[in-house]
Amino acid sequence: MILRLALLVALLALASLFWDPAMLQAVAARDPALARTILIELRLPRTALAVLIGGSLGLGGAAMQGLLRNALASPDVLGPTTGASLGAVFAGYFLGGGVLAVAAGGIAGALAALALLLALAGPAASTATLVLAGVAISALGGAAVNLALSLAPSPYALYDVLFWLLGSLADRTLPQLLVAAPIIIGAGGVLLAQRHALDSLALGEEVAHSLGIAVSRLRWTVVVASGVMVGAGVAVAGSIGFVGLIVPHLVRPLVGNRPGAALLPSALAGAALLLAADLAVRVPVNGVELKLGVLTALIGAPFFLWLVLKAR
Amino acid sequence: MIGLATLALLAGAAAAAPSPARVASLNLCSDELALLLAASGQLVSVSRLGADPEETPLAGRARGLPVNRGRVTDVVALAPDLVLTSSGDPSAAATARRLGIAVVEVPQPTNLGDVRANIRLVAAALGRPARGEAVVAAMDAALGPVPAGAVPALLVSGGGLTIAADSLAAIWLRHAGLRQQRVARGPLGLEGLLTAPPAVLVTSRYRAGQMSINQGWLAHPALKALPAGVVRLETDGRAWTCLGPSLAPEIARLRNALQRRGRPAP
Repeated sequence: MILRLALLVALLALASLFWDPAMLQAVAARDPALARTILIELRLPRTALAVLIGGSLGLGGAAMQGLLRNALASPDVLGPTTGASLGAVFAGYFLGGGVLAVAAGGIAGALAALALLLALAGPAASTATLVLAGVAISALGGAAVNLALSLAPSPYALYDVLFWLLGSLADRTLPQLLVAAPIIIGAGGVLLAQRHALDSLALGEEVAHSLGIAVSRLRWTVVVASGVMVGAGVAVAGSIGFVGLIVPHLVRPLVGNRPGAALLPSALAGAALLLAADLAVRVPVNGVELKLGVLTALIGAPFFLWLVLKAR
Repeated sequence: MIGLATLALLAGAAAAAPSPARVASLNLCSDELALLLAASGQLVSVSRLGADPEETPLAGRARGLPVNRGRVTDVVALAPDLVLTSSGDPSAAATARRLGIAVVEVPQPTNLGDVRANIRLVAAALGRPARGEAVVAAMDAALGPVPAGAVPALLVSGGGLTIAADSLAAIWLRHAGLRQQRVARGPLGLEGLLTAPPAVLVTSRYRAGQMSINQGWLAHPALKALPAGVVRLETDGRAWTCLGPSLAPEIARLRNALQRRGRPAP
């Protein structure tokens, strides 16, 4: 299954990189240097960020669902995503930071939102408490992004709300990729290394403890690594909803409902889903390209409703 | 026609009534006209944007004036006898009328005739028609005639936002010798800009110090790959918000810059 998912990601990545091949060929025939610039400066960051951010959302969702043993846990439901938007907006608009500072702001925002969540919900929170606290933090974060951009010196800054709350991979830069990639890959590696521990945790905290798992260290590792990963992604692409929520549910039945075993397939499926969504937004609707987050929400919200119906 | 009729009415009213002595402007675009036309001491307040040097080239003239946030309640304490606002904010105008303060709503211009009519409208309301004619004359002198043989161009501001080919901004641009290209709806993408570049790319400089998504777009490294033949000009983004008379000197500057750079073949 992992091989097939990886193949799907590779195919979609190629489609993303060489989208509209007739146009690329025409440009290459006329001006090879320009075609190279388009591929390296525009297409490569877009494709690579879709893979990395989609993967990080899928992986982050699967890890949080495994850790909290909660089917509704995901970065965008529980708050780190809007927390990251807020941190990035603050670092960029009010402290005048560059790519690095915005990434640091995003990571700090995501970690702050997660810390607030865990403090509010407590260590052994019920589903209801956790989701309530997460939804409240998400709403607060979204409102604070809105407020911050309303108060920014330029009246046009408010237009950027669209980006920070809906996300986009269009016209990102190579430096943004170079900042985000090592952070996402590093934190993702740390999360993947917890897969056996998460499988043990699924049997209950006592069992995990008796198997030699340091449960509280596991919790901190997963929370910090997810926060860092999500924060770095949001800082360059805005907040993209629902991928982290849907993907683990699609994957888990295929791996015998073991949360640890779902991590890597979730990362791959998340990358494939975001690549596909980013290909779809390039087809103009009524002459206008849609925002990435609009599309993922259009797919994700009905799925969320289906989860509700199933849980009833 | 309606504009002319209002103008005649207002001119008549101004002739009959004494000139307002305490004028408050609530909107960046009415601020521009007030700052250009009012007598010294006649203006008691402008909007916070009208006094912000990042928003308008006329901010220097607003130094020392109390600023408002665009609401009538902000200026009531200054006891204005005339409030200027934009037609885009009918609720402010209604509030002022309820409080018994005279109001002039400056309409959104859609052509250069509207821009001149707006100047005359505010000048008449301020009781300074001669000053209004002088400002119109200065604007027309800076604009000059439409140069023959316009060059196809794109005016782009941050985030790939551009203007419609039949908009007032495009009419102003025409006086610089540039003809805005027709573009698809929505913001431009960098790929489209690189693969089908205009003869002249005019980028708007606005709050360059503020890191925003839109500013970042204009600084995208891929823009360096524009073909060498594309003439790049930079314009002061502040003057393009209201498309009022303070855009005229910027148009003259663009026209000269284009001539200095050698006009590409139309």
